Amino acid sequence: MVRHGIANKVAIIGCEMTKYGERFDKDQYGLLSEAALGACKDAGIPKDDIDAAWVGVFYYFTGLSGTTVEDALRLNGKPITRCENYCASGMDAFRNACFGVASGAYDIGLACGVEKLMDEGGSGLPGFKIFGHPVYPMPSAPAMFSMAATRSFHVWGWTKEDLARVAVKNHENGFYHPKAHFRTKIGIEDVVKAPMIADPLGRFDCCAMSDGAAALIITRPELAESYVHSKDYVIVKANEISVFTMAPWYWPGYNFISFPATVKASEMAYKEAGITNPRTQVDLAEVHDCFTITELLNCQDLKFCEMGKAAEELKNGTFNYDGEIAVNPSGGLKSFGHPIGSTGCRMLVELTKQLQGRAEGRQVKDAKIGLAHNLGGAYSVCSVSILGKKD
Amino acid sequence: MIGIKAYGAYLPKNLLPREIIAKMWDFPVVPGTKSVASIDEDSLTMAVEAGLDCLTGIDPKTIDGLFFATTTQVYTEKDSASLIATVLDMRDNIITADFTDSLKSGTSAVCRAVDSIKANKDIKRILVIASDTRQPEPATFWEYGFSDGAAAILVAEEESLPLSIEDYYSVATNVTGPWKRTGTDKFIRTFEVKMDSQFYSNNVMRVITEIMKRNNLKPEEIDSVAYYYNDPRSHQRVAKKLKLGQGVAQNGLFFQIGDLGTAMPFALLISALKRPKDDAKVILAGVGDGADAIYMKVQDRKQVRELTKTRMGLSEHQKTMIPMKNYGMYIENKRLLEKDRYTRKSSATILWRETASIYQMYGLKCRKCGLVQYPSMFKACHQCRADNEFDKIKLKLKGKIFTFSLDHLVGGSYYNTPVPRCVIDLEEGGRILCDMTEIEKPEENVKIGMDVELTFRLMHEGAEFKNYYWKCRPPRGRI
Repeated sequence: MVRHGIANKVAIIGCEMTKYGERFDKDQYGLLSEAALGACKDAGIPKDDIDAAWVGVFYYFTGLSGTTVEDALRLNGKPITRCENYCASGMDAFRNACFGVASGAYDIGLACGVEKLMDEGGSGLPGFKIFGHPVYPMPSAPAMFSMAATRSFHVWGWTKEDLARVAVKNHENGFYHPKAHFRTKIGIEDVVKAPMIADPLGRFDCCAMSDGAAALIITRPELAESYVHSKDYVIVKANEISVFTMAPWYWPGYNFISFPATVKASEMAYKEAGITNPRTQVDLAEVHDCFTITELLNCQDLKFCEMGKAAEELKNGTFNYDGEIAVNPSGGLKSFGHPIGSTGCRMLVELTKQLQGRAEGRQVKDAKIGLAHNLGGAYSVCSVSILGKKD
Repeated sequence: MIGIKAYGAYLPKNLLPREIIAKMWDFPVVPGTKSVASIDEDSLTMAVEAGLDCLTGIDPKTIDGLFFATTTQVYTEKDSASLIATVLDMRDNIITADFTDSLKSGTSAVCRAVDSIKANKDIKRILVIASDTRQPEPATFWEYGFSDGAAAILVAEEESLPLSIEDYYSVATNVTGPWKRTGTDKFIRTFEVKMDSQFYSNNVMRVITEIMKRNNLKPEEIDSVAYYYNDPRSHQRVAKKLKLGQGVAQNGLFFQIGDLGTAMPFALLISALKRPKDDAKVILAGVGDGADAIYMKVQDRKQVRELTKTRMGLSEHQKTMIPMKNYGMYIENKRLLEKDRYTRKSSATILWRETASIYQMYGLKCRKCGLVQYPSMFKACHQCRADNEFDKIKLKLKGKIFTFSLDHLVGGSYYNTPVPRCVIDLEEGGRILCDMTEIEKPEENVKIGMDVELTFRLMHEGAEFKNYYWKCRPPRGRI
C-alpha cells in the first residue's frame, strides 16, 4: 500500500472550544457558532474566508448532514460535510478537512465538532432503544468497556484503586482548566466508593454526559505564513484512523486487554510522523479516557509504556502533567465530559494551544509534539493525530 | 406400534414457599411450594426448554410434527407451535397445531398425534409439548395452586418403544367454570368452586372408568394413573372412588410444584415412570370441559429407565430450584405489577432473515481457516478475512465466560439490574454475547471461566411484538 500521508502538509492557524458542561443555555447551533466564530477570530479571518467545512456529529438529534454548520454560520451554500465515526467523529472531520486543504481543492478549511446531549436527559447515552439489532444484547457503553476492565483485572491483577488513579489525576488537571465541565478535585476513596454503573466501573470511572463544541481553522503551511499565527501555527504531523468490528464480543480469541484499532492507528501515525520512541518523543497526549480503564489500556496500546505496566507507571507519576509524558493535562473526558462529535476537535484545540504555549489549563513545559487519540464504539474506531510546533 | 418414544420437562428456577402467600394475606397456611416462571419466561420459552429436554440425543430433523398445548397462549392470533418447532431446529415440512383454551388440551393433543400417525404414512413422530404460566389473582386461593412449567411427550410409530399407546377415550361436556373471557379478563373467574370440583370428579372418573371397561382392566391391575388435579383432596376422593390401589394414583406434585395446568398430566406421567415395571399398565388423563383418558403399557422397562437417566425431567430441574425470598419477587416475576417495561426496536425482516442465527443458534464455519464464528450478519472471516466462504454450523448451547460486565444502565432504565453481559466461548467453537438470567448476587457469583447454558427467553416487547432470543444461565444440568 502506498501511503503519502498528511505530514507537514497542513497547518492549524486558529482554534477555539466552548465551555463544556450542562449547556442548557445553548443549542447545537449556538455551541457551534461560539466555537467556530471563536476559531475564526483566533485565525484573524472573517467566516467568509472559509472555503469548506467538515463537522463531527454522532447523534441524529444533534443534526443530520452539513446543515448543522450552515444553520449555525450561514456560509452561503459552501460545501459542508457531516462526519460520523462513533466517538472519533470529531477527529475524522478534522482528517477529512486536512485532505480537502492538502489536496489544494480548498485554501481554508473549517474542522469542527458538536454534540447536544443534555437535551435528551441524563441517564446514560440516549438512543439505545432505537438503533442496533432487535434482539442481540446491547450493552451500555460502560458495560462494553468494563468487559476490558474485568479481563485486565484477571490478567494483570489490576484493582479498582488502579482505575481510580486515572480519575484522580484527570480531575486534578481539570480543576485548572476554565473550559472543563467538572472542576473539582477528588480522592481515590471517592472513586472506589461511588455507585456502580457497570461493574467494575463506578460513577467516577465513567466520563459524563455533556454539551460542547470545538473548531479549528486549517490551511497549507505556505499560506499560514500570511495569517496572524504566522509565528506559532501548528503543523499536522500525522492523522490516521483505524476501524475494527462494532461487536468485538463476537470475535473469537479477542483478548479484551488491548484495543486493536488504537494499536493500528498509532503504528500508522508514528510511522507517518517519524516517531520511533513515543515515550520520549511525544511530550503530551490527549487520549480517550471515556472510562478509566480505557486510559490505562490506551497508554499501553500507544506504547507509552509496556503491556501490563500502565497502572504502575501511572502510580509512579509517569503520566502526570509534569511527568515523563503528560497524559490528559487538560483533564480529559473525565473533566470535560464527552459531547461525542466534539471531543476529537476539543483534543486538537487543546494540543494546538499547548504547543503554542497558551494552554488554558495546565501548560506542559516545552511541548513540541502532541498526540490526540479518540476511541469509539465498542473500541471499534480509533483516530490518532500528531501535531507539532512550527519548526 | 404407536407409543411414547421420549419425554422431557422443564421447571423454572424459582420456587415459592406457600407460607409467603399465607403471610402476605393472612391466609390459612397451605403447605408446600410452587414453581414460578421468571419475568423473561412464558409458555413458549418453557415449551422450548421441555422440547430440548425431550429431544436429547434425538435428531430434531426426524420429527414430523409439533403440537403445542397451553391455556396461556402468547398470541391469540399467531401459531406458537411453528416458532417452537423453528427454535428446536425441526424441518419446515411438518404439521403443527396449537391446542388451547382447555386444561385437557395436552392430553387431547396426544390423542390427535396418535390419530395423525395412524392416518398419514409420512408422519411417524410428533412432539407434543404442554406448557402453562397461568396468572393467579392475588389474594385468592388460586394463588396457592397455579404454577409454571412445561412437559413434552414424543409420540412415535416404531417397532420398539419404551411405552405403547393402546387406546384413548374422551368426553366433551360443557361446564360453567372456571373461565377467562378473551380480552377482558386478566384472571380466571368462577361461579362456584364446589360445583367446579364436582364437574372435575365426574369427568375424570367417567373417562378412566370407561377406558378400563373398554380394555377389560380391573382397578387392581392398573400400575399408575396420572390424572390432572388442582387440589389434593379431590384427587384423593377420585382415587378412592375408582378403587385404585395404594400409590397408583400419582400425587405429591401439587405439594412440591403446584398446579402446572396443561402440563400437569404429563408431569404426573413422568414422575410415575421413575420406577417402571415391564408390562406396567398406565393411564394418563386430562380434564377441562370434558376429559381424555389414554391407556399405555410399558413395553421396555430398560428403555424407560434410560429415558429417566438421560433427561432432566422433573427431578433434575427440582434440584436446581431456589426458594423465592418474598412476595415482591413473586409478583415482579409474574408481571402482576403494572409498570413500564424496557423495550427496544423490533424488525420482522431481521427476525426472518436471521432465523438460523437468532432462533436456532447456527454459526458460521470458515471454509478457508476453519474458524467458527457468530452471528451470520458478518460476511467476512474474523481471522483469515475470506469473503462469504462459510458453512452453517450448529453451535452448542453451553460454554464458558471469557469476560463480562454487570450492567446497571439497561436502556437508560433501572429494572432488574445489574444485568450480567457475558462474552461466552461456546463448547466446540463460536463466541457470543449473552445477558445472564436467574443469577443470585451477580457481584459475587459471576466469574471468568464460569460454565453457562443457553436458555431461550423473552427479550422485550418492542413494537408490541414478542422478541425472543437466547440468554445464559448458571448450569441446571442440561445434557
